[in-house]
Amino acid sequence: MTTDAPPVLATHGLVRAYGPAAGVLGVDLVVPRDCVYGLVGPNGAGKTTLLGLLAGLRRPDAGTIDLGVGRERLVVVPDVPEFERWLTAAEVVALAGTLVGAPPSRARVAAELARVGLAEAADRRVGGFSRGMTQRLALAAANVGDPELVLLDEPSSALDPAGRAAVLDLIASWAQRATVLLSSHILSDVQRVADQVGVLRAGRLVYQGPLQTLLDRYLRPSWRLRVRGAVAPLREALAAKAWVEGVDDLGGGTLLVRTHSLDEGERGLVAVAASVGAAVVAMVPEEADLESAFLTLTDDEQVPA
Amino acid sequence: MRFPAAGAEPRGAASMSIARLEWLRLWRTNRLAVLMLLFGLFGLLGPITAVYLPEIIGLASAQEGFELTVPEPTPPDGIAQYIGNVGQLGLVAVAAIAAMALAVDARPGLAAFYRTRQRSAASWVLPRWLATTLAAVLGWTVGLAAATYETVVLIGELPLDRVLVGWTCWAVYLAFAVAVVALAAGLVRSTVGVTAAAVVGLLAIGAVGAIPQLGDWLPSTLVGAPTGLVQGGLDPADLLQPALVTVALTVAALALAVVLAQRREL
Repeated sequence: MTTDAPPVLATHGLVRAYGPAAGVLGVDLVVPRDCVYGLVGPNGAGKTTLLGLLAGLRRPDAGTIDLGVGRERLVVVPDVPEFERWLTAAEVVALAGTLVGAPPSRARVAAELARVGLAEAADRRVGGFSRGMTQRLALAAANVGDPELVLLDEPSSALDPAGRAAVLDLIASWAQRATVLLSSHILSDVQRVADQVGVLRAGRLVYQGPLQTLLDRYLRPSWRLRVRGAVAPLREALAAKAWVEGVDDLGGGTLLVRTHSLDEGERGLVAVAASVGAAVVAMVPEEADLESAFLTLTDDEQVPA
Repeated sequence: MRFPAAGAEPRGAASMSIARLEWLRLWRTNRLAVLMLLFGLFGLLGPITAVYLPEIIGLASAQEGFELTVPEPTPPDGIAQYIGNVGQLGLVAVAAIAAMALAVDARPGLAAFYRTRQRSAASWVLPRWLATTLAAVLGWTVGLAAATYETVVLIGELPLDRVLVGWTCWAVYLAFAVAVVALAAGLVRSTVGVTAAAVVGLLAIGAVGAIPQLGDWLPSTLVGAPTGLVQGGLDPADLLQPALVTVALTVAALALAVVLAQRREL
């Protein structure tokens, strides 16, 4: 990723309100060039509205959108893509290229369909396609115009695990030649492909930046603490500590302990176990994941600006 | 996950121009066939109805115990019967088929496909209007040819020059009717809603056309023109004004349709 290049997309005070807490309420989005930017947020946070504004399908009440590429180099894949049912898959891809001024050759159409696993269905009419096939066809139709910026709205939400994996692979490969902005509520998908992330809550961007920074900053540290003996007294003792946020008994002598800070956990857990006579067999930190960070961020009443 | 490499090149993807798209829309959805069959059927039935109507009415009245005499059909009656049928059901069919093409926003996912690739609404409104108009005019032509042929064979000669003027009047009117559908698509989203709005609009213009003096200027005059021309009640020169007004209204309706489609949000 090039960090000193101007962003491929930026918004300034973007507003499209559907009431006091719905829509997009003053979003300053910055999407660096050549990255995969994951836009996450709970249902109703404004993700689809924001994508609609960026795609030019809706008009903002206020604010501006700066595009670092021409509109013809921007492509949008909606959450439920649809095509003319009486066209074949190959005709859809050819039409998509023609409409953006880049009529593809037969070989290019075949290559795009093969890339998404639809080579065998090239001459089939799309009216009989499954949801997953239609989603992959949408990606082929999007790619045929060699876009520089791709907006994907919930690209894997309705797919089975195999279909999701295939679509994520395609998105990851896309990132080598274009900037991808995808919205999704499937956080594990975002974590798998995105390097930048923006978190929307109630129409406002409460975080944007590198995914790893989000994980580092907002993940509440937690450990799986396995002990021998005195499990119940240890649980009670930990729950009484101010620096412990929560304790769950996972069974088998294992407790899941969440603390307010990494330092307090690392220093305090073993000491508390020793004070109640519990022998620490293992203390394993939980792996950082976007879901935990996301929940922390969107649960907070006070969110940093 | 890895997919297999590209196999044989697809058959149907050599080029996909807008003209080919619109042709496939008419051909693969059978819309062109429906229009030609419908108008052709009305064209065949019109003169036959005119020929046998006196006999049918005579038999029906005899069964009721009274005698009703209907004059023998004249050649204009064959055309009048055809116009009577296509002026109602034919126009509704044209409106419905036009709505299927022009109600772009009825399917949001499909609308996004076009709207994010074709930045000007004229890029999808005008080709769809033109293709549907041509299909409707083709259907109308097939029907009029059938009605004229059958009338000449079964009833008697028709003034073909006046039949041709009547053909032109309806061609102009059909272009207007499809433009009204395009305008309705700028106001309403669903296909059924667009059809209904367009039919109501055309009926309203027809109702206004019943007003003396004013009616002579309106597009609805063109609907009855083929009948009036072959009956001799209308002179081709009388139709110049409403034809010009209809062309102007068609252009205005299309311009407004493009503006409305451009301003609409998904």
